[in-house]
This record gives sequence, C-alpha cells and structure tokens, in this order.
Amino acid sequence: MVSTVLNTDVKQKDADHAVVIAVTSRAVFGSGADDDEVYGEGLAFPLLQALQRVNEHLLMNNPAELLLFDIVLLTTDSQQQQQSPRIISSTRHYGLEVGRFCFSSEEDFVENLLKNNVQLFLSTDRNEASQATQRGVLSALLDHQTASCPSEQLKVLFFGDAVIQPDTGPTPPSRQAARSFSAQLGEMQRRFTMSDSPLSIGLVTWRGGRDSCADALHTLRSRGVRVDEAYCLAEAPWGPILSVFRPHFLLSDGFGGLEG
Amino acid sequence: MSLNNGQTLTVSGQDMTKNGSSNRAPWDDARTGLKPSTPTRKPKPPKPENAITIVVSSRVLFNMEKEQQIYKQHGMEEYIKYQVEHETEPFSPGPAFSFIKALEAVNTRLRELYPESEELFDVVLMTNNHAYVGLRLINTINHHPELFIERFCMTGGNSPIGYLKAYHTNLYLSADPVKVREALEEGIAAAIMFTPEKMKEVSETQLRVAFDGDAVLFSDESERIYKAHGLDKFFEHEKTHENKPLDHGPLKGFLEVLGKLQKKFYDKGQRMDCPIRTYLVTARSAASSGARALKTLRSWGLEIDEALFLAGASKGPMLEKIRPHIFFDDQMFHVEGAAEMGTVACHVPYGEAQRVTKKAIKDKEISSAPK
Repeated sequence: MVSTVLNTDVKQKDADHAVVIAVTSRAVFGSGADDDEVYGEGLAFPLLQALQRVNEHLLMNNPAELLLFDIVLLTTDSQQQQQSPRIISSTRHYGLEVGRFCFSSEEDFVENLLKNNVQLFLSTDRNEASQATQRGVLSALLDHQTASCPSEQLKVLFFGDAVIQPDTGPTPPSRQAARSFSAQLGEMQRRFTMSDSPLSIGLVTWRGGRDSCADALHTLRSRGVRVDEAYCLAEAPWGPILSVFRPHFLLSDGFGGLEG
Repeated sequence: MSLNNGQTLTVSGQDMTKNGSSNRAPWDDARTGLKPSTPTRKPKPPKPENAITIVVSSRVLFNMEKEQQIYKQHGMEEYIKYQVEHETEPFSPGPAFSFIKALEAVNTRLRELYPESEELFDVVLMTNNHAYVGLRLINTINHHPELFIERFCMTGGNSPIGYLKAYHTNLYLSADPVKVREALEEGIAAAIMFTPEKMKEVSETQLRVAFDGDAVLFSDESERIYKAHGLDKFFEHEKTHENKPLDHGPLKGFLEVLGKLQKKFYDKGQRMDCPIRTYLVTARSAASSGARALKTLRSWGLEIDEALFLAGASKGPMLEKIRPHIFFDDQMFHVEGAAEMGTVACHVPYGEAQRVTKKAIKDKEISSAPK
C-alpha cells in the first residue's frame, strides 16, 4: 500500500519547477530508541540541512523563486512505517523542510518515486538505489563517509569516469535523468556568483588521465554546470578526495557509457 | 565500475566511498587491449606511494602573468571569462618548466634500466583555479608532449594541504608564500619559486639541483649562532662541534630521494653518465665550518656531487656556472642574487633567517590570487 501525506508545516513547492529529491527516513533518522518520542539524527541529517540552506539562499535572492529543492521523505521500512506518526512528528520537531511523506512497501516504492516525479533518490540501501536506477530514477548511495559532513554549502561530487565506449543506441533513462538533474543544479548555481554560492560542485575522475577529465569537464559544461573543483586521479586512491572535499553525495553519470 | 546497470558506485565490488587503495578491475587487462589507443602509447603514472611526488602549482609551471594582472585589476569573473575565451591558447613555460622537463628525462632513463619499477618522478599539478580554467591548463599540457602530467587537483580556492599530505608529496613548489609555509609546517618539503628576469639555458639531459646548507638541508641551529654572535663565533662554534651532526632541515628528504635514484644509476654502471647531479652551495667556508656540513651529510649516508664553500661570497656567479634547474635557499638575499643571474631560485621560508625578514615578506605577500 502506498500513501502520501503532505507536511502542512511547510509551504508546498511548485510542481513544475521544483527539483524533487527523495530521501529515505532510515537515512535521515536512523533507528531511534523505542522510548523516545523523537528520532535521533541520522547520517543524512546534515545533507537535508544543506538542501534547506540552498533553498533559503535562493529565496533570499528572489522571494518568488520557484526553482527550489522539494524534499520527499520516503519510508519503506515496515517497522518505521508502523511509527509513521513519529516520523512526521520528528520531522516537525527538527523543523525539517520536508514537503511530503511517502509510505510504501519495498515492492512498490519505485512506483512511488515515479509518481512523485522524483529527480534524485538518496538511500543508504544499495538494493533500493539499484532498483530505482533500473527504472530510470537517478539514485545515489549515501554512506557515512559522505553524507554526514556538516557544511555551509551543499557539496555534490560527480564521478566522471569515461569508459571509452561508442555512444550507440538510445540514451538509457537513468542517464537522461542524470543529465536533467545536473542541468537543474547548473541553473541553481547561476542564481549566485562564485563567492556566495550555497552549492559547491566537484568532479573526480579515477580511470584514465587528463583527457578523460577534460572530457568530463566538457560534458558537464555543456549541461550548464559550473564545476568548482576537479580532481584527476589517474588511479591514485580516491579516499583523500572524499575526506577533503566531503561531498554530501556522489553522482555517477553516464559519461560516455559508465554502466558496466 | 559496477557490473550492474546502477548508478551506484562500485569498482570491482569495492565500494567507491571507502577510503581504500585502488584495486584493478578484473577486466582491466583484457580491456587495455580493446581500448582505442591514443597515437603515442603513454606510460601509466606510478602509484603515489611508490613514486617521488612533485607537486607544482600552475603559476610556476606556466607563465600566467597576464592573467594574474586581469585578476588583480578586474576580479574573478573577468579572469575566468578571459581564461575560457583563450582556452585553446597554450600558456608559455614558467620557471618550473625546465625542472619538470628534466624530471621526465630522468624518468625515461629510469624506465630503460628498470622497466618494472614504479620508483619514478610523478608530477602533479596543483592549482587554486576553478575547473574551467583547468581546461586551458590541460590544453597547455597537451601542447607540450615533454610534460607528462596525468594527475591534478583544481581546488577552486581551497587549501591544497590536505591533498599534499595524502599523496605523500616529496616536494611542493608554488608562488604562494602562505601555502608554502603551511606545507613546511606540516613537514612537507616546499619552496616559493621566483621567476628570473632572463632564464639561463639549462641541460636537457642532466637534472641539476642545488641546495643551500643551513636551514635548507640542515637545521637553522648554526644560523642562530651566527645571528646572535657574529661570523667569527660561528666559525669557532662549527669547528668545535665539527663531529656533531647538524639536525636535518626541510629539504633533507628531497636530497635523500635524489640520492636513492642516483644509486639506481650507479648500480647499473652509470656513475659517469648519471642524469642527476646535486650541489651544495653554501656560505660556509671550506677552511672552518665546511667540515661539519660534509660530516653531517656523511653521517646521514647522503652523498652530494659537488660542495661549493663560498665563505660568504655571493652565490649568483657560482650558480651561473653550474646552471642548476633549481636552487633552494632560505635567505631572500641569495634567492634574489641567483635570480638576477638567471638561475631559477626558490625561497625556503624556514628558520632563523625568516625572523628578520618576516615583516618584509608580509609586505610583499601576494593576495590570494588563483595559481
């Protein structure tokens, strides 16, 4: 069964212009103690705050701004579903800018994502992320090393490995989703100058050398994305990049055939 | 990358987000054959932990003076606009260029003698610039086939220190005094590179590196004596303590790695033809204080090819004869003297000598312009 509950504490976003991001409640709240009324902060908590900060800055620039992040809190965990009132009350307790709550089972959550026009799905569960991608929803796996860094800016890291493959055949839906999401990020960036942007975008390439990185930069630029930082590793370990850049999430994109 | 169709990041089953060393993907070897080959077969960069990592900033590798002026006079947005407009125009070489070229020449010789070894120089470009300015840098590197740079960090204005530490940096060269000082404080060999008015021609086949002694290879302990008590007391002190090795300075480690590479050539009978030569160019005198310097080096198991004791005389003319690709000194007086005569000289802002000149340097401090 699928149900959607609007959060009346939060002004609803314009469906035609907002960028819908779904995050699992398991990622935001983790598992709280049974006796407490309110859940503790989970690993995606700082990420949510960063998304909110971007909205705040966008609205400061233009109070009539419609290009905003619209956050959907998705609960697939049956245990948490039984606690749906607590999820809603915890959200309100922390003042999180969640537009909607979606409750669905593991079987039909992807339908829910599609129905809600979700442009990016963030989960700590590899299977969930994989299922969503296969149905054409751009997904990213959240991990304790990435999501949980508190930061003034929203930090997004593109993983742009160019596996040289001929670009034959139709574009897979997941790659189209990646393209349109990154174009929207680019659009948001253009609302700010470089020195006051609440959004920081990085690129890291691992396989291949400088030409692979150049290709990835060109691709992102063609989508209107301004890349602030770029790291070409040529197979050097990527750990330091994550520790220093501290992205909230990583996006791997179909740069010339990434899948497989 | 992941074998499923997902956007999740895994490399041969290993989570990308884990801080681990890179495992080769199982299909790597097979695919290497299938990859459309680039016209020249480029050798693969060595793993950072095996290589001698030289990190160089874009402003010292290339000449970006014109663009620097634009930044200073018109700000960041104009600067970037200009860079992007001129994206396909390569920069001309900067003061570090011939040094980096010489490193590559050494690599070529090392690969001939030790084809399996990863003990090679690995040059990493580190720049403050935003990524799109980076495209012009990549185009410039492509324009100079003698440069072999496949790794870079474009930090968009953030400090490079985290990366310098993580990638086992053996030497960091930059035009920015603040970054260099930060690196030295973290125990990384670093120096501020200056551009001579006219650069003298240097060898294309032999890498030559010249070092000052005190506060560069050695600690600044003796310099303190000299400052406090004068030259005579300094000579006396050094003679008395001749057999007590000096403590090490910030560039001792770099001399050490050069020595290690030299030995690899000697082991293959190439002592006469060694493509690396090191020099000590010191104000110490051969008659008195020089002995302590040499004994210290010996106690460290380090060799230096030529030791030049100038007894306080100017270093410029001597360096002009040697023609090193790079010269390190802790005193601006000597750095400037060397640069005036066409030597690429670098200031190591370490130790006692900095106390007096700290204010002078602060006054000259460049604003944090992109490098």
